[in-house]
Amino acid sequence: MSLQEGTPARSRRAPFDADRLLTLACVGLPLLGLVLFFAYPMLIVFLRSITVGDSYGLGNYVEVLGSSGFWRATRHSLVMGGATTLLSVLLGFIIAQGLYRCAFPGKWLIRGIIVLPLLAPSLVQALGLIFLLGRNGVISRAIGVEIDIYGFWGLLIANTLYALPQAVMIIGAALVLLDARTYEAADVMGASPWRQFRDLTIPSARFGILNAGFVCFTITITDFGNAAVIGGDYSVLATEIYSQVVGQRNFNMGAVVGIMLLLPTVLSYAIERQAMKRQQANQMTGQVPYRPDFAPLRDLGMAALSLLICACIVAVIGIVVYASFVTLWPYNMSLSPKHYDITLAGGYSSLWMTIVISLAAAAGGTIGVFLLGLGLRRLPQALAQPIQALAAMPAAVPGMVLGLAYILTFNSTATPLYLLYGTAALIGIVNFYHYHTQAFLTVMTGFRQLPPALEEAAGSLGAGLGRTARDIVAPFIAPMLVSVFFFLFMRSMVTLSAVVFLTTPELSVAAVTIMRLDDAGLTSQAAAFSTCVMAVVCLAILSMKAILALMQRGNRSKGMA
Amino acid sequence: MYLTVRDATKTYGQFTALDRVSIGIEKGEFVCLLGPSGCGKTTLLRLIAGLAELDGGEITLEGANLSELPARKRGFGIVFQSYSLFPNMTVAENIGYGLKIRGTARGDIAARVAELLELVKLPQVAQKLPGQLSGGQQQRIALARAIAVNPRVLLLDEPLSALDAKVRAELRDEIRHVQRSLGIPTLMVTHDQEEALALADKIICMNHGIVVQAGTPEDLYHRPATRFVAEFMGISNLLRPEEVSVLFPDLLASRPAAKGAQLACIRPEQIDLTPAEDGAARVRNISFLGNLRRLEVESPIGLLTVETHGSNPCRTGQRVALSVAPDACTWVLDDASAPKAAQA
Repeated sequence: MSLQEGTPARSRRAPFDADRLLTLACVGLPLLGLVLFFAYPMLIVFLRSITVGDSYGLGNYVEVLGSSGFWRATRHSLVMGGATTLLSVLLGFIIAQGLYRCAFPGKWLIRGIIVLPLLAPSLVQALGLIFLLGRNGVISRAIGVEIDIYGFWGLLIANTLYALPQAVMIIGAALVLLDARTYEAADVMGASPWRQFRDLTIPSARFGILNAGFVCFTITITDFGNAAVIGGDYSVLATEIYSQVVGQRNFNMGAVVGIMLLLPTVLSYAIERQAMKRQQANQMTGQVPYRPDFAPLRDLGMAALSLLICACIVAVIGIVVYASFVTLWPYNMSLSPKHYDITLAGGYSSLWMTIVISLAAAAGGTIGVFLLGLGLRRLPQALAQPIQALAAMPAAVPGMVLGLAYILTFNSTATPLYLLYGTAALIGIVNFYHYHTQAFLTVMTGFRQLPPALEEAAGSLGAGLGRTARDIVAPFIAPMLVSVFFFLFMRSMVTLSAVVFLTTPELSVAAVTIMRLDDAGLTSQAAAFSTCVMAVVCLAILSMKAILALMQRGNRSKGMA
Repeated sequence: MYLTVRDATKTYGQFTALDRVSIGIEKGEFVCLLGPSGCGKTTLLRLIAGLAELDGGEITLEGANLSELPARKRGFGIVFQSYSLFPNMTVAENIGYGLKIRGTARGDIAARVAELLELVKLPQVAQKLPGQLSGGQQQRIALARAIAVNPRVLLLDEPLSALDAKVRAELRDEIRHVQRSLGIPTLMVTHDQEEALALADKIICMNHGIVVQAGTPEDLYHRPATRFVAEFMGISNLLRPEEVSVLFPDLLASRPAAKGAQLACIRPEQIDLTPAEDGAARVRNISFLGNLRRLEVESPIGLLTVETHGSNPCRTGQRVALSVAPDACTWVLDDASAPKAAQA
């Protein structure tokens, strides 16, 4: 009797409530995926890094830390990361300031151009630079000076262009948050525009700037494509892993370098998350957006600077498209489509395969993060929090390290997971988990905007979890789901770092094909293939915009009826 | 009792939101849970709705234990402060959603929706989306959605708090009318004592997770049990016995012998003012509130609040004599926990 009194009410509820089972499935399946395809491979890569012969030990670390090549690559990575970060945050701040705090026409053009580098595999910036500044580059030939673009400077420019869109987006998001009334108050108090910039804008945007810095740093030190194409002798950690694994078949040493690369990215990611939280804490509700008035001196200057930066981006990306049509660069500059006849084994098959893989990764990934978000809402905090933390972790892992972890895990006959090795499915899976964090956080943002009262209202009207998910939750966060789908699709289309280890002679993806074409000296065909990838991704962006616009219009017209 | 809550207890970590609360609702009764924010009233409503789980005690409906029933199987209707209409569904789809889940035929749903739109006086908006309606309209639709399924109990969670004063008064009457005509047992949570007085058959006044007093609106206003209830139910003059003996010695006779510190609660409208040159008090300030005047009166025991209706000859600075009818005073327990802010 006394036992029964002490038992809390909840244990009396039927244990096999359909909604509880569904919640468990919603969380359980994606969680199983995270464990099998993220946590487990990461554990394997760590174990391999401390495997010496048949036992464990720190021998590999001693060997790596003792080699001058490793230290050179580390120094290069850090210097390159720092320089790129400074440059892209500075340029990104200029553009963001121009877009959100200045008044001049044609901002849509700048917005459009600034995202161009995201539409292509990272090595396209490098290709473009070679066509512009390489030995046979347009500019080099025009001014008659031989520039050595391979190495530090080429890589710096390529990486900066690649990191710039992120910097603009993050800093822009911070600048948008600044309330117009704050500036009106400052005006009334007699603060000059310069003082307002120094005392209001910079302090409020500081977390955004910090955040952008860490993101740019991470992107740069983990990027493989640009370093592989234009890095030349300037070895960095990402290329070091590649040469250890693919060049020397030295998996354990590759694992050690991977773990070493993981250290700065994990640290950087942790700081970035903190900065993000601080910035969100600053957010006010009911703010009045800032509408800048035209100030000729400021605005013309900022417009010119922004356009200059945009011109560089257009030149680098545009030259790749142009070069793909040039008959024989640089000797016969007449236009022809002959490079679109890919001569490398497989031709365009890898492009079609990439599209199929990307669609599958996007569809499966969107469903996965949706179910996870749905289930997490119904889990007690103590349980939901660690799962959320795990779901947000993959962003801290460089693609090279994840790819290496996959090859170590799935190319081993020790577990049935071996069956996945060499399949397109595994490439789709690695793409999803590589970008899991961003997809998951986007969906969670959508879920946070969903008032709990809506689900409670549906519940008290008699709707179960499945029905609520279909009728209430999914329509509410549909725009987020569409964004996540296309985000995963586009990243899968262009990513190189994780998949570079998982392709086989029979199964390749677009970004790897571009790298192989470039390696084989077929630079013009690499440009042609890149152009095709960019066309597919542009098409995807346009589809996304159309779908989102249609959804909005659909909602409105429904109300008019 | 139709719905009974017995010894309901709910804790969040160290915080006890509800401490062995027992309440009951009769068939057709309109009950208000009244109290300041954080008193546990919303927690109690959510427990009854099945949106939160009891840590102890039980809730029964017509004798049947509800503890094992999830919210969706209780057949209750709920209206939230935040409207909470489904933004992707039209008004008609919102109202008909509960019936659709129950597998009602399309034609019957349409008929019921039309009938309910008529009832909440919004027959024109069936095909609109919630975003196109004003707050007051949205809340009417939310009410229609909640009663569409003929709920066994209607739960209202501060349904009027987000609305402007005028819309609030209109909708208040509307809710009363709908509830009376359909006879649905209703439990409403509110922190507005005026709302509770106007709507409820029974008010349950809560503070710090316990029920302080339950009774009819008249009971709670005229016969508050504690200082907290007296202050929460409106303006009152709370006087210590020694103060009473100075001004109104007649009232001391009714003082109960109960334990604990007792205060005399005298509502402002129960003090009679007569201009008198040798009066014990002086009018310090007069606020004109339309139908009544509120006077601040300086007396030997401090400031008193007095309200008078109709024409009143008093002017600021005038000396007055004060009197209170012996039965117009209630002795209340001085519960130290009473918030000072309530006496405004």
